[in-house]
Amino acid sequence: MTRRVFVTGMGVVSSVGLGRQAFWTALVEGRSGARPVTSFDTTELGRDRACEVTDFRARDHLTTAEARRVGRCSAFAIAATRMAVTDAGLDTSQLDPARTSVILGTTMGEVDVISELESAWLHGGEQAVDRAKLARYGTTLLPIHVARAVGARGLVQTLPAACAAGNYAIGFASDQIRAGRADVVITGASEILDKVQFAGFVRLGAIAPERIQPFDKQRKGLLIGEGAGILVLESEEHARKRGATLLAEVGGYGLACDAHHITRPHPTGKGNITAMRAAIASSGLTPDQVDFVNAHGTATAANDQVESLVMHEVFGARRVPISSIKSMIGHCMGAASALEAVACVETTLTGLYPPTIHYEEPDPECDVAVVANKVQSGKHDVVLNNSLAFGGYDAVMTFARPGVLPPPPGADE
Amino acid sequence: MKPLAITGLGVVSPFGVGRAEFARALENAEESSARAFSAAHTVLTDARFANARLAEVRDFDATVFLGDKGLRNLDRATKMLVVAAKLALEDAGLKKDGAFTSLPSERIGICAATAYGSLDSITEINRVAELEHPRYLNPSRFPNTVINAAAGYVSIWEGLEGPNVTVVDGNCGGADVVLTAETHLACGRADALLVGGFEVLNEPLYLAFEKLGIVSQGNEMSSPGVVASRGTHLGEGAALVAVESLRRARERGAHVLAELVGYGTAFEPPVSAAQLVHASDEAVERAVRAALLDASLASSEIDLVVCAESGVNLMDLAEEEGLARVFGSDVATVAAKGLWGETFGAAAALGMAASLVWLAGAKPAPLLRGELRRPVRTVLVTTMGYYGNVSVVIVKRAS
Repeated sequence: MTRRVFVTGMGVVSSVGLGRQAFWTALVEGRSGARPVTSFDTTELGRDRACEVTDFRARDHLTTAEARRVGRCSAFAIAATRMAVTDAGLDTSQLDPARTSVILGTTMGEVDVISELESAWLHGGEQAVDRAKLARYGTTLLPIHVARAVGARGLVQTLPAACAAGNYAIGFASDQIRAGRADVVITGASEILDKVQFAGFVRLGAIAPERIQPFDKQRKGLLIGEGAGILVLESEEHARKRGATLLAEVGGYGLACDAHHITRPHPTGKGNITAMRAAIASSGLTPDQVDFVNAHGTATAANDQVESLVMHEVFGARRVPISSIKSMIGHCMGAASALEAVACVETTLTGLYPPTIHYEEPDPECDVAVVANKVQSGKHDVVLNNSLAFGGYDAVMTFARPGVLPPPPGADE
Repeated sequence: MKPLAITGLGVVSPFGVGRAEFARALENAEESSARAFSAAHTVLTDARFANARLAEVRDFDATVFLGDKGLRNLDRATKMLVVAAKLALEDAGLKKDGAFTSLPSERIGICAATAYGSLDSITEINRVAELEHPRYLNPSRFPNTVINAAAGYVSIWEGLEGPNVTVVDGNCGGADVVLTAETHLACGRADALLVGGFEVLNEPLYLAFEKLGIVSQGNEMSSPGVVASRGTHLGEGAALVAVESLRRARERGAHVLAELVGYGTAFEPPVSAAQLVHASDEAVERAVRAALLDASLASSEIDLVVCAESGVNLMDLAEEEGLARVFGSDVATVAAKGLWGETFGAAAALGMAASLVWLAGAKPAPLLRGELRRPVRTVLVTTMGYYGNVSVVIVKRAS
């Protein structure tokens, strides 16, 4: 367990732009992807806004055969994968297929397919269910489609860790490279906006009427977003051999479970504290070496307060800059921490901390150094990506500028 | 991989609940299987499904194990998984009378596989959304639509604060969680993990697999590995084994039931870009060889194969071919799905559970092929996905 793992390419589908560059430019400029929902009727739901991807056309990114057999979630993932592979300068025909894996996160996967199928069944009876469409359902299809697109023949896995799925997937992908089970892993997460999920969050009282204001005293909840963030991870050896540009090193990560409530974080943040400390320690670092935290920052009352407590507990008196890009792209559920991982890597590259927009009134309950409204710049050796999820999940990981992290510890007993 | 100790089993299945009951049912496997399939099922309530042949977990009552408080918002899949977890923790001696023994709660977690574990809840919510209005969704049931909710409830119920992971790899998940567990244990993220899978029967699941031609109809023949077979029968259940390092197990004086010694996986897509469903003999061969290499075992050292064959010709033929390329045609092979049906994400977990019983000396269920040459010391469990993916684990008698 001593191999180093690097990010060598990234692809993005988001409400603020397609592709790594458009995404990052929008974040740095503080642009919001929030607008009235167009893909379904929100009448009588009491909320009508989301951060929807409106300029994505599957045919721009997928082959005709792919477009026929995939749902929107997989279409996002395939598109972002192609962008990431191009960004990495990776010639997929040169990959060793059995040493190439695909590990992706999502919350609901091809939820549009199951919604259509069930709608047909509930209204029209079983005759109305389209047999061809049935084969297109299955959360496991997401990485299968991507593996086919890049020619991967190793592990093909879905990690549905709800809103922490991106960190789960990227972390496990890095494990597989470190353990020598793969040389290249396509990883990240994809998620789509869905009416039932939207309504569910409305019923949980978690959706804001207009905008998403993480850490603000007047925060009123989240807006749902959608998109995909895909990263190409490579072993150092593989990347160097082909002369790839090393964007960032993947550090360690930590997992914990609150074992407290299915949707709410533990009030003391204990699982998040454990996971964050584990992420820092397993990177061979101490808390004072973390320069910036990309927050989970959902703008729900409980999350932001608990996350602030966790910051105090882990970093003590040192006020580490923290920001939530959910203020701009909404909460993309399973894809959230993958898109945030892309932003983390950009921060390590540029030294820019993306802003938390709509931050107006500080909340004494969230006494943290929010990057308010305007991009800031600062030290960018080590960036931490925090995520929490339904199920009481806590998953935290670190990214670092190449050359910063100490040699990986032999994690084996 | 570095061998890992299996120190406990929790199982909720058509072959009974708990390790002892499950082992007893396996002693007379054919009889138990006949019983599992013969009784009228209760899970599919629409009269349309009256003739469906299913192996359901009959009379499953979670309150017997969990009491009757706090279960209201748990769906059937979650209840099964929570009961399996509770039984596994107790069987492994990680908990006694509800309290943790030698390891703290932060060092114990769960890695559970499922393919369609939240379908019941998704359907329940969709029913309200489609037939009434989305604004009437029950917010306390809504979180169950998230497929990791079941494992999340296990942690809440049993107080497990270590890593909580759900894996969705279709039929292969029950094997892939062995890699998950091996990884997290080797990286020091936990000291013990509950590892396995769960799946439950419900109407949309049955309807989908019937329409796809996977489920055999009426009196059509269903028999794994038989060319005349016209499909599989569906089953359900949850199985979790407690897994820890051999050193840790020895330190705390745990009884080691068996060792996990190897894992392998492979994916081979169909040649045609338009095709989706695919069974690959090449993937079977590659995954089996990878697992053998991982375990440092020769193919001749495998005494028993618990195969994934289920009665679906396309899949069974590819698997038989792939296995034959590694083992020849005479390796003793048992088709566990012939006993309790196809259980998707739970299949390999139930296969591992049965392996524990057979490694302990029970005579393996009727062999599909080959013959046993000696007492069973090593078992290879295969899984086969519908899209060309295959994963394999190897379980060995405790040394």
